[in-house]
Formats: sequence, C-alpha cells, structure tokens
Amino acid sequence: MNAYRWSELHTGLAHSFSVQLTPAMMQDFLHLSGDTNPLHLDATFAKAAGFPDVVAYGMLTSALYSRMVGVYLPGRFCLLHGIQVDFSNPAYVGDWLTVKGEIAHLNDAFRRIEIKASIEKGEQVISKAKIRVGLNER
Amino acid sequence: MSDILAELQPIFRDVLDDPALQITRQSSAATVANWDSLAHINLVSAIEQEFHIRFSLSELAELKNVGDMIDLMEQKLAAK
Repeated sequence: MNAYRWSELHTGLAHSFSVQLTPAMMQDFLHLSGDTNPLHLDATFAKAAGFPDVVAYGMLTSALYSRMVGVYLPGRFCLLHGIQVDFSNPAYVGDWLTVKGEIAHLNDAFRRIEIKASIEKGEQVISKAKIRVGLNER
Repeated sequence: MSDILAELQPIFRDVLDDPALQITRQSSAATVANWDSLAHINLVSAIEQEFHIRFSLSELAELKNVGDMIDLMEQKLAAK
C-alpha cells in the first residue's frame, strides 16, 4: 500500500493496476448489494437484451476505484470525498480490466486531491471517473 | 467584475446541483441552499481549475460572500 504525504504529491502523478473479473466477484457483489436484476444473473435475459453474456455490475467494476485511491493514489491516508462515474461500455466475467488514476488537481488550502480515473478493457473504455479525495495524514 | 460573476454561475450551478441557481455578489453559504463545507471545497477546487489560480486557506478564511471571492479573484488574475 502506498502512503503518499501531501508534499510528495504532484499533478500528473499516476498509478494503474489490472484485475480479472471472476464469477466469485459477481456472486460476492450480488450478496453485498442485493441487486438481483437478471441482466447480471441470467444469460438468456442478457442475450435477449442484446448483450453476449450477463453484464458485470457497473458498481462492481467501480469498486476498483476504491482500491485505486485507498491503496495506490494516495493510499494509506486517503479519505474519499466524492466520485462521479460515467459508464461507456459493458464488462463481462473473464475480462481483464486496467484501472488507471492520475492526479488532475491539488487544492493546497483544503488538501483536496482530484483524480481523473478510468477502467479500460484493452482499447475500450468501460468507465471514466472523477474522484475527489482528502489526505488525512496525522 | 460582472464577467467573473457570469463565469462563476455555471460552476456554482454544477457544484451545488441547482440549474436555476442565480448567485449575486451578496450570495454566501448562509443564503444558498446546499452550500455546505464539502460543497465549499468543491467550489474552491473547481474555481482554481477553471481560472488557473490558487487560494490559500488564510485568503479563503477572509471571504464573507461571493463578492469577496470575486474581488480576490480579480487581484489574482491581474497579478498573473
């Protein structure tokens, strides 16, 4: 886990990591969220809706933004203030997703970090996010 | 001065999630709905990015309303 201090942060500082979506993640998120929508559970339903297979929960993939800020950027002293996510494409079980984050702005007065982040599958963007975090270093 | 106020309108509307919001020089956290402490940080950060200026905590502590913010912004923009 990273543990960036304010003095070590700068605009453009970036981190990334990759994760493969597994059936176990889908099961865990189903139990966690209680979202029983068939688009995420029933392949027949998903195909009838025009998708090749059940669609991974958007909020499951977005949970990876939590890892980005809590573990990588800024890591240990992160305090999540807010996040805005826009979904561009569906993700599926078995996909390898790359999560990218880069500091877009540092507000010195309130020690607020603004991070532009994305989740990508190869060349395809799954989602983009603007993440606002504080640095709770003591 | 009025130009800055006009440029601030969409920032305040976006951050405070109120498309009909009309801020004036007299507007403040006490008079505008949803202008809480977290929204204040979001406003300051959005203004910094839009206008490419920076505020210190002591400067921000002196501000009583939007008019004070505009005056401070004019000083910073003139010094660029």
